[in-house]
Amino acid sequence: MTTVVTTLELRRILRGATLPALLLAWWWAMFHFHWTDTVMFVPIAKVWDTAVRMSSSGQLWISLGASLARDLAGFTLGSLVGLAAGTALGLSRLLENLVGPSLHTVKQVSLFAWIPLISVWFGLGDTAKVVFLSLAAFFPVLLNTFEGIRSVPRELIEVARSFAFTRSQMLLRVVLPAALPSIFTGIHLALIYAWLATLGAEYLLTSGIGIGNLLTDGREHLWMDQVLLGVAVVGLVGFALNLVAGAIERHLLRWRGGSAGQY
Amino acid sequence: MNTTAARLRAALAPAAREPDKARPRRARRLRLERATLVRFALSWPFPLALLLTWYLASAFEWLPPQILPPPAMVVSTFVELVQSGELGDNLWISLWRVLVGFAAGGAAGLALGIAMGLSPRIRDYLYPSFRLVAQVPSVGWLPLLMMLVGIGEALKIILIAKAAGMPIAMNTYKGLEGVSTRFIEVARVYRFTRWQLLTKVVLPAAFPQIWNGIRYGLTHAWLALVAVELLASSEGLGFLIVYGRQLYQLDVVMAAVAVVGAFGYALDKLLALIEARLLRWRRDGF
Amino acid sequence: MAHAGTLEISNLSKQYRVQGSTLPVLDNISLSIRPGEFISIVGASGCGKSTLLRLVIGLENDYQGEILLDGKRIVGTSLERGIVFQEHRLFPWLTVEQNVSLGLLNADLPEAEKRKSVQEHIELVGLKGFETAHPYQLSGGMSQRVAIARALVNRPEVLLLDEPFGALDALTRNHLQQELQRIWEQEGITAILVTHDVDEAVYLGDRVVIMEPRPGRIKRIVDVPLARPRDRGSYAFAAIKDDVLAEFADKPQAELAPPPPAPSFSDWQFSW
Repeated sequence: MTTVVTTLELRRILRGATLPALLLAWWWAMFHFHWTDTVMFVPIAKVWDTAVRMSSSGQLWISLGASLARDLAGFTLGSLVGLAAGTALGLSRLLENLVGPSLHTVKQVSLFAWIPLISVWFGLGDTAKVVFLSLAAFFPVLLNTFEGIRSVPRELIEVARSFAFTRSQMLLRVVLPAALPSIFTGIHLALIYAWLATLGAEYLLTSGIGIGNLLTDGREHLWMDQVLLGVAVVGLVGFALNLVAGAIERHLLRWRGGSAGQY
Repeated sequence: MNTTAARLRAALAPAAREPDKARPRRARRLRLERATLVRFALSWPFPLALLLTWYLASAFEWLPPQILPPPAMVVSTFVELVQSGELGDNLWISLWRVLVGFAAGGAAGLALGIAMGLSPRIRDYLYPSFRLVAQVPSVGWLPLLMMLVGIGEALKIILIAKAAGMPIAMNTYKGLEGVSTRFIEVARVYRFTRWQLLTKVVLPAAFPQIWNGIRYGLTHAWLALVAVELLASSEGLGFLIVYGRQLYQLDVVMAAVAVVGAFGYALDKLLALIEARLLRWRRDGF
Repeated sequence: MAHAGTLEISNLSKQYRVQGSTLPVLDNISLSIRPGEFISIVGASGCGKSTLLRLVIGLENDYQGEILLDGKRIVGTSLERGIVFQEHRLFPWLTVEQNVSLGLLNADLPEAEKRKSVQEHIELVGLKGFETAHPYQLSGGMSQRVAIARALVNRPEVLLLDEPFGALDALTRNHLQQELQRIWEQEGITAILVTHDVDEAVYLGDRVVIMEPRPGRIKRIVDVPLARPRDRGSYAFAAIKDDVLAEFADKPQAELAPPPPAPSFSDWQFSW
């Protein structure tokens, strides 16, 4: 029995590895047979060497740390404001009618279009980047929090009313917990957007250090190894962030069990 | 302006005259109209207050005009740009890039998603690599792409296509994968052919999620467009923004940003309208 | 034992305003309920029996007539009136114990007493050992029992039940009817059960109130002077049941349900 399962899984793994393996083989062949003479293509080994070099010199970690620090700062700020705003708009129809349309309009502008304006108002350094990242995180959290609060099942509100819950009890013990799944979706999205905003900000607001700067640097000097390393790091960080977010979500929402939405 | 005044009159006058029982249907429509009017009216105070603050700030020069141009100037600059054709030219280039990139990426994404969704073998071969590529956001690929294909049109189209194609492929695949076995079982009981199963069960069932992917794809296409035009372009809306920024002509920047927002909204709204038509009559089928 | 309340409903009427026209839901309902009595209300769909319950619990407040509990006019919701809905409406993010404690959140009791009451009521509904389970882990019947415990934990004077077993399978329903009867006898409170199951109504009630729809009126009240626990197979039981069923002899016409009044969030949303 176990042998059969392993064979199937093995086949899957082998199939999945085919494409990357072919790519690596072609890459190696390019070099080995001198199919190209551009200075750009570097052997895989060189990328690894660069990784080791930058890692031990600390440059990689410092850049990564700077990017992540900004990412987290902007993400936290934007999420908190988005949470507060989403809750306020979700609870008050008046506020929604007053401010909602304006927010909806601002949301239409593609994120990166704000950078030049932000650069004029906040400079090219860390402040501007954190402001931009907060903006990136703000909208997903705002929209999903709002949606979550509006979708609190009436049935649960009625139960709370039958127990004479006060307004603050209603908000803290019924509305917010019931909206939590939606809120988490928003936070997860904000995490994704904040990370890609971090990169964009580093390309466009060039003062300072970070992974984006590493990438830009590598491109300008035509250092393919550095660029590839940067891409790999970006991917790994994105993957790690997703993993952590997913784990936290699963833990905090473990009461959902199999079927969400039954009350 | 005329229509608003007319609507106001229509909404207020008859309600004051006739008793509730006499014409219930009219009262119903008036009530609905009143609610929408109220909502419409409430949406203005906040932006108008902001506009006023902006006007005062620039009139009293709380900030230098390079940092905060007066609203009137932004409007006149906008008009200038339209009249000189500069806005139109750049807008057209950006739109063309978005549409071509979105179409290319969308087609590729759909094809990939359908292939992975329908064929376990193809899924086994392609999905892991797909996921690997998906880990890096499109902006992350930009420097590498710039090195490989330079900074011409190809760069823009490829990046936009990739940005649009990824969510479309993913959502298409997930949508197909997630078609409830219950529906498939019904099809088996009625002995549907494979083609019937695909066209009458699987694709309609997966459609909402596929459409979701398409809408995400458009958003990401815009993101990529603006990013690449800000960084590596000599025409387009993004270029206009950068150009204005370099010269500290924030009025140009703001006008361009507004256009980016307006057209982003317009395209998304178009998709929403298509969705409303397609999805509604398909949803009824369930 | 909880103090059983006396409920007096006098000339109760209610209308809904739907899309400009008025829909009468209840018309001149009068009912006197003695302390500790178990009243079953039966009626076809649309006879306003659920609305009646919602008025008594205080979830709706726009009506004509009077509802008096122990001589005092009721105002809004209160811990003196408890309700069990058709859906269990447990908070999915809380455990069984925490869900039951919700009923005591605003009660004026020391913590230790609250915990004791929660534990007692969990045992009362036969769920000892499940205190730390989450709702998703419970069956429909178990969830409904938690809902009953939650409604009883603050010892209300009146317990309202709105088709509490409608969503359960027949076997569980039967079992829970027996449980409810046992719990009611033990607690000794006044209870009002709304149901469309005549068997359930006769099994549990001291009196069966028969309502007819459009508008909702009381057609008849049938006494059930049988000793408990009742034998569903006995002649007397069947006779009373037939008596009640006869009132529903006309075949119910198939009709589209009227559109429900649009739920408004203004009930609980902050108005700033």
